[in-house]
Amino acid sequence: MTCDVLVLGAGSAGLAAAVTAARQGASVILVERHGFAGGMGTASLVHTFCGLYLLDGDQPVLANPGFPAEMEERMRLATGSGPAKMGRVWVLPQHPVEFVRIADALIKESGVQVLYHTEALAARREGDTWHIDLAGRGGIFSIATKSVVDASGDAVFAAIAGAATATTDAATLQRPAYVFAIQGASEGESGLALAGRIVDGVRRGLLSKDSLGLHFRSSGRAGETFGTIDLSGTEDGGYDPLNPACLSALEIAGRGIAATAIDFLKQEAAGWSSAYISQWPVRVGVRESRRWIGRHILTAEEVLAGTRHADDIALATWPLEFRETNRGPKLRYPENGLAAGIPLGSLIPRDLERVFVAGRCLSCDHGAQASIRVMGTCFATGQAAGAAAAQAAAL
Amino acid sequence: MITAPTPEDVIEMLREEGIADLPAGFPAEGDLFAAGMDSMAVMQLIVVAEERFGAVIAPQDAGRENLGTPLDLAALIGRRMA
Repeated sequence: MTCDVLVLGAGSAGLAAAVTAARQGASVILVERHGFAGGMGTASLVHTFCGLYLLDGDQPVLANPGFPAEMEERMRLATGSGPAKMGRVWVLPQHPVEFVRIADALIKESGVQVLYHTEALAARREGDTWHIDLAGRGGIFSIATKSVVDASGDAVFAAIAGAATATTDAATLQRPAYVFAIQGASEGESGLALAGRIVDGVRRGLLSKDSLGLHFRSSGRAGETFGTIDLSGTEDGGYDPLNPACLSALEIAGRGIAATAIDFLKQEAAGWSSAYISQWPVRVGVRESRRWIGRHILTAEEVLAGTRHADDIALATWPLEFRETNRGPKLRYPENGLAAGIPLGSLIPRDLERVFVAGRCLSCDHGAQASIRVMGTCFATGQAAGAAAAQAAAL
Repeated sequence: MITAPTPEDVIEMLREEGIADLPAGFPAEGDLFAAGMDSMAVMQLIVVAEERFGAVIAPQDAGRENLGTPLDLAALIGRRMA
C-alpha cells in the first residue's frame, strides 16, 4: 500500500489532519487502534469541547477558522446544544456518539482511507519515502508514504522512528480522568446536594477517598448522565500512561470507584434508586504522556504572555489547566487575556524530514501542554499538520 | 478550643486549600460560585471544614444558600461545629 500522507491516530487532531490533507488532494491513510474515530472525545467519553472559543466576552467567538469551526457547527447541529460559559471560558458540550457519526461522515466525504484496528510498530526512511510497519489481527503489513502526521497523543511515531521526546516526571504528569455513562438518575438528586451526599459516604466509610472527585453532568440526552472521576494515577505505584500494567490498574480502579459510588447513591440519594451504569469508556482518559521535541518548544510562559510567533498556525485559547492532583483543576490564565500562537515549529520534529505532529503530543513543555491538549485546539493543530504534510508530499 | 471562623478566615481557607482562586479584596458577600467554585470544590470544602473546624456539613446543608458566599459559609460552619 502507498499514500501521500499517513496519519497515526484518529482522535481530534488526527481526524482534522487526515480530512484536511485529503481535501488538499493528497491520498491519505488514517490509522487508528479503535473501531471508530474521536479518541478522548469518544473512546474516553470526554463530553466537552474546550479550546474552540476565545477567552471571556459576552458572546462565544471561534478562535480558529476552518476545521475547528466546521466541527463546532456539525456538533451543534447534531446535539441541538450551543456553547456555554463556565467562569471565563466558553465550552461546547459534545456527545461521543455524535462525534463518531460526524467523524464517519467527514472521513467518507473527504475520501480518507481509514484503517481501524491497526497499530504502528516500526518505521524506516528510504530516500523520500517512509516505510511504516503496521499490525492488525491478520498480521504485520507495510505502507509506504511520502509524509507522516503523528497524532497518536503519545508520540508513538517518535518512539518507533527513534526521535527525541520529552516526558514529565511521574509525580507531576496531569492525572487521568475516568468517565462513564449512567441511566435513570437524570431526575434525581444532583449538583451540590449530590456532592454533599458523596462526602457523607466517604465520612461514613462507605466510599473511598478516591470518590471525592466524582461529579455528574447531564449528557443532553433523555435519561443519560455522565459521571467523571479524576484518578490519582497512583493506583498501581508510580503513574506511567505508556505502561499497559499501569493503565490496566487505572481502568480497574475507575470501574471500581464508579460501581461502588452508584451502588451507594442508589441506596441513599433521592431519585437514584433505579440508576445504573450504562456504558464504560473504552479507555481511561489520559491527559498527558510523551511529547515530541520539535524545532520550537512552546512554553507555559509564552502561553501566559499571549506570545505570537512569525509562523503561528493556530491560537491556544484554553487556560493552563493543571490536573497534577485529583483534587480538581487549577487554572492559570494569560495575564492580558490574549490567546498565544502555536508556531509551525512546534509541529515539526527537530531531526526528521516530512514528519509533522499534532494534538497533545506536539512540541511544548508541561505547562503549555496543560493548555494545548484540549480537543478544540487539537482540531486546529491537526488541521495545520495535515495541510503541511500534504504540501510536503507534493514537493 | 477552636473558634468559629469569620468570613475572612473562610476566604483564607479557600485560598490556602486551593478550593477557590479568589482575587485580592474578595468581599464577604461575594458569589463564590461565580468565582469558579463548583461541585468538586464543594466536596473538598466539606472535607476541609471538618478537618479544620470539626464542622460536619450534612448533604442537606450543601446548597447555594449555605455555601454561596464567605459570609454564609462562615455562619454554616459556626452552626455545625460540634
